[in-house]
Amino acid sequence: MERQKLIESLYRFAEIMVALIAGFAISGVIMWLGGYDPIKAYRAMLGTSILTTDPYNLAMTLSFSAPIMFTAITFAVGVRAGVFNIGAEGQMYVGALGAVLVAAMSLPGPLYLPLAILFGSLLGALWGAIAGVLKAYKGVNEVVSTIMLNWIAFWVVEYTRVDLLPNPRDPSKTIEMPEPGRLPILLKGTELTASIVLAVVVTLLSYYLLWHTVLGYEIRATGMNPRAARYGGINPERAVLWSFIIGGIAAGLAGVCEIAGRPPHYAITTGLSNLFGYGFDGITVSLIGANHPLGIIPAAIFVGGLTAGARGMQIVAGVPLEMVKAVQGVIIIALAVPGLLRLLKTRLTRGGG
Amino acid sequence: MAAGSRGAEHLIEMRGITKIYPDGTVALRGVDFYVRRGEIHGLLGENGAGKTTLMKILSGLLRPTSGEIWVNGRKVSFKSASEALKMGIGMVHQHLALVQVFTVYENIVLGLKAEGDARLRIEKLMEETGLKVPLDVRIENLPFGVRQRAEILKMLYRNVDVLILDEPTTNLTPVETDELFETLRRLKNQGKTVIFITHKLREVLEVTDRVTVLRNGRVVGVVETSKATPQQLAKMMVGREVVFTVSKPPREPGEPILEVRDLWVRNDLGEWAVKGVSFTVKAGEIFGIAGVEGNGQSELIQAITGLRRPEKGRILLEGRDVTGFPPSKLYRMGLGHIPEDRQGLGLVLDMNVAENSILGVQRGRRFMGKFYNLLWSSIRRHASQIIERFAVVAPSLDAPVRSLSGGNQQKLVVGRELSKEPKLIVAAQPTRGLDVAATEYIRKLLVDMRTRGKAVLLVSADLDEVLQLSDRIAVMYEGEFMGIARPEELTREQIGMMMGGYRLAGG
Amino acid sequence: MKSGLKRALSKTAALLIVVFVVLAAGAALFLLRGGPAETTTTSAPAIPKKIAVVYDIGGRGDLSFNDMAYLGAKRAADEFGLELVEVQSKSESDYLPNLRTLARSGEYLLIVAVGFLMTDAVNQTAQEYPDQLFAIIDGYIPDKPNVLSVLFKEHEGSALVGALAAMVAANYGCSAVGVVLGMEIPVLYKFEAGYYWGIRYGEQVYKQHTGQDVSLNVLWTYTGAFNDPAKGKTATQAQLAQGACVVYNVAGATGLGIFEAVEEKAKQEGKDMGPPFAIGVDADQDYIKPGFIVASMMKRVDVGVYTAVKRALDYYQKKIDKFGGILELGLKEGGVAISKLEDLETFLELGIQAGTVKEAEKQQIIDKVKAMREAIPSWIWEEVDKLAETLKTNPDVAVDGLKFSDIAAKIPLDSDEIKQIRQQLGVPTG
Repeated sequence: MERQKLIESLYRFAEIMVALIAGFAISGVIMWLGGYDPIKAYRAMLGTSILTTDPYNLAMTLSFSAPIMFTAITFAVGVRAGVFNIGAEGQMYVGALGAVLVAAMSLPGPLYLPLAILFGSLLGALWGAIAGVLKAYKGVNEVVSTIMLNWIAFWVVEYTRVDLLPNPRDPSKTIEMPEPGRLPILLKGTELTASIVLAVVVTLLSYYLLWHTVLGYEIRATGMNPRAARYGGINPERAVLWSFIIGGIAAGLAGVCEIAGRPPHYAITTGLSNLFGYGFDGITVSLIGANHPLGIIPAAIFVGGLTAGARGMQIVAGVPLEMVKAVQGVIIIALAVPGLLRLLKTRLTRGGG
Repeated sequence: MAAGSRGAEHLIEMRGITKIYPDGTVALRGVDFYVRRGEIHGLLGENGAGKTTLMKILSGLLRPTSGEIWVNGRKVSFKSASEALKMGIGMVHQHLALVQVFTVYENIVLGLKAEGDARLRIEKLMEETGLKVPLDVRIENLPFGVRQRAEILKMLYRNVDVLILDEPTTNLTPVETDELFETLRRLKNQGKTVIFITHKLREVLEVTDRVTVLRNGRVVGVVETSKATPQQLAKMMVGREVVFTVSKPPREPGEPILEVRDLWVRNDLGEWAVKGVSFTVKAGEIFGIAGVEGNGQSELIQAITGLRRPEKGRILLEGRDVTGFPPSKLYRMGLGHIPEDRQGLGLVLDMNVAENSILGVQRGRRFMGKFYNLLWSSIRRHASQIIERFAVVAPSLDAPVRSLSGGNQQKLVVGRELSKEPKLIVAAQPTRGLDVAATEYIRKLLVDMRTRGKAVLLVSADLDEVLQLSDRIAVMYEGEFMGIARPEELTREQIGMMMGGYRLAGG
Repeated sequence: MKSGLKRALSKTAALLIVVFVVLAAGAALFLLRGGPAETTTTSAPAIPKKIAVVYDIGGRGDLSFNDMAYLGAKRAADEFGLELVEVQSKSESDYLPNLRTLARSGEYLLIVAVGFLMTDAVNQTAQEYPDQLFAIIDGYIPDKPNVLSVLFKEHEGSALVGALAAMVAANYGCSAVGVVLGMEIPVLYKFEAGYYWGIRYGEQVYKQHTGQDVSLNVLWTYTGAFNDPAKGKTATQAQLAQGACVVYNVAGATGLGIFEAVEEKAKQEGKDMGPPFAIGVDADQDYIKPGFIVASMMKRVDVGVYTAVKRALDYYQKKIDKFGGILELGLKEGGVAISKLEDLETFLELGIQAGTVKEAEKQQIIDKVKAMREAIPSWIWEEVDKLAETLKTNPDVAVDGLKFSDIAAKIPLDSDEIKQIRQQLGVPTG
């Protein structure tokens, strides 16, 4: 058994390595064709994000990994329950909205942060629960419903930004989180706030939840075999609903942390442009991390590092942003492909049941 | 040439076949297997003996780790099933390879070039072999026995000389089994060679010419069927004398535990599957339900165990109305359920042994802490106890249940359910597909439970099992009970009649 | 529970740990080989040889605002022998790291932040790196000695195109004029206010010339994006359907969709020239869809960036002793202007560089624009020029009782003030 495990681990490791090498190689060719020096670019990318001793760059990497760690949990918990919850994006928006609603109240200073966390995660959970109820009790395909809910959330939040809570000083964004409600900056002069601490804590909690609580057990059993789950006295509908709620909380917290813990705006900016995309990035992070909380932490740091390294590529290696995006897209997709294939395979083979 | 000369006697020669799976499991250890032209050859062995692996190698689905295969005096090395098929070797699997939504005709000609006279040829084949199949009915609308005939026909249509049948009688009624045997004899007379995989002694004795017995990946003997006795074969198969009867001390039944009153249940298609069934199971008795599968037994069990909502009627557990209760509630009230589909229902195959050992009792006080946390040390202790008490062979508590053999999976399910110390045990097909040793063990456990005062509801398609274990028997036919009686009051013929839809006179 | 954690670790984390060990080994190799981070600390007195331009999420390729910033920076870099580094931003969260990464290297003479959206980030970074010089285009940071806020009097230029739009629309008998805007930020309020004022002024002038009373409906739409041509197109189509025949682009790259919509409408009607027309912005965009862009409100971001670089050099060379403050560029300073036929040549180069215009088409484009301009009565053009002179000298000129100088006095405008101005000028308040 131990041997089998070792073989499997080695296989997974080889898989990641092959994907990584393939991703870097393909991107390298793309850059080379575009007339840029791939070696220099990679050196700049990694040397200003992960493979460095410069605390500022490391802090930047961590700051970018916090939101996608949260949203990866959303997807991972869904997968564990056997659903394809791609609604982290919208749940994150409403989570951020929750934080801004709290920011707009006049409260004693110490109340802002806990209330924002509470409100944001509640709204995220609620948004997740809509798709959850539709899936569990009405059989509505969760991919369709979450995509639609993402857009509904987008416009609801955008409407709120424009018409209900615009910043009187600067209508391109909402009211800011007041000073006392902001997450502390961990390293002066960097963007790294306590968001990362919250993200890691929530990730570890989700691990505990999935593998050390009855609810997690029931969610996982449902995801692997809903019929057996029902036989085992589990209500699979309820387990699925819970997975959406838990995922919604995580995504909602991602939104809260972007409001309370991302200098210098501390608000939702126009077009939700400071939030846009983190929900979808979470899906790839989760896939890279084998949909396992303990895999998601390093995966999020890696993807966060790519985001951080986009600067180095532009400044040091002179690669324009469009090319940077293409390169990073290829690398991320290459890393996510094995996980995605495995996921599709289990979903398809289980399709009959 | 030595091989050539032997080829005259043996159509198939498999020499020194060894098969080691990628995970290190050794399935076959140097097996020599010879089949004569035109015989029905039995391949007998317990589950996990290597019968199916050996035949998958012969039919090109698996490649041996070492060893040689000779067909008709020529050395062959199949890379796929279609290559074996070209050499005239075809296998009918337990799970038939038919497209459900295609008709029989479409399935038979599937993948072949269109031929104008295909239909005529098939009809002629049916005439010759006696394999009567409605050609234009979709597979999904046919009973299992007919599907199997369609699959055999499909093989014959592809000009197969050697027909391999893997446990073909598992899902057949006694009548269908007889018909199958008749067909096999006819095929033999037409010069075909048949290899018949089974673990049922009576069938081997009834239909084969010679038998090869496998045990634990090795050949333990080859005998002429006419010279073999059941006791001898059984001994070869399990390696010891088998006691075929379970000793059952007499016991007076106690209070009624389960009462079912005029229960009506629909199946997934909305049709009536159970039509007004009433019975009582008392403490200290095994109540057996016999019958050909598909006559409403599954739906009845599902209704009793909370997996399906009955339309009418009442279910009482210890006098309390539990109609429509969810499984979780029933478990708390003392229900243990050994489901008929252990892989699809009784276990989460990708979860490990420890996790599966608490399925259904995960919210029990022993396994769940104050904060809804799982008490892993307690769970692991529980799983170890099941493994020990019920002789489950598992590599470790962390091994996914998928990696266990069928028998051990079932022992894990049975162990888990019995360790709940339930008042009522519902056991559906508890020994299906298990080897002799495991079957015997599980039957003994059920009898023990009954003797210790539990109520046991046993549903089994294995008539011998029902007859041996039950204190009272009901035979189910098309959703109704044809009668309830004590086993000693019934002859096999009477039961056969009831399974065929005749009511027990005066019952 | 502890053993449970251990098992899970052994399963998943083990291999990930291995990954990280390998990555770390790679890191060591990288760093041993000299490493990519070229953090050579330059000794203090030497004048840094690099300038950096940081774009907001709109980014390069808009053929207007951002591309003009590039033009200005490029010209300054070439003239003063500096190296130009460009940095684009993927999301709003990139502004601060982009600026900090540049500032902390200490290699840059000046960091130019192109766009109002970076105001907060520049503010923050300028405070942390007081020795680093910054310029922000369109942002208002008045109180930092190391930040130069480059502002434009867009209301002045917008008034000119507003007057043009009104007269052209009236000339072709249309019932409405429109404006399609990007994100709702205060800078755009200046465009709006000037444009509306100009429209009413144009109506007045038109009446003086022709004796005809015109009262145009004014349509405006915020698309919420500076980089989404598709949105610009839909918004414009809606305005055209409501009778607008001149649509002002105040939306960066989103505006490319405005041009498309206008051209499509005209071509559907079988014309190869407006109406309907669009009005370009920031750059001279008249060449992008020749014949369909009646003129452009040029906001000479290039002038702003160039001026900022020059000022930074002067400061380092001690020619001036104060760098920070407000640099406001209007009609008078050449910071804003309405495009003339003569401007076309310069800006065609931009299009050729971006690959949207072929060298061979150059003359053809110039001819077409010329023909379009000639199709419009010359007195209209003359009146626009007259207004430009008036605004330079007498900003107290009034329409509907609203003096132009009143608008100027209110800047920076907030959302309540723009609503009030809309109301005063008979524009739907939204």
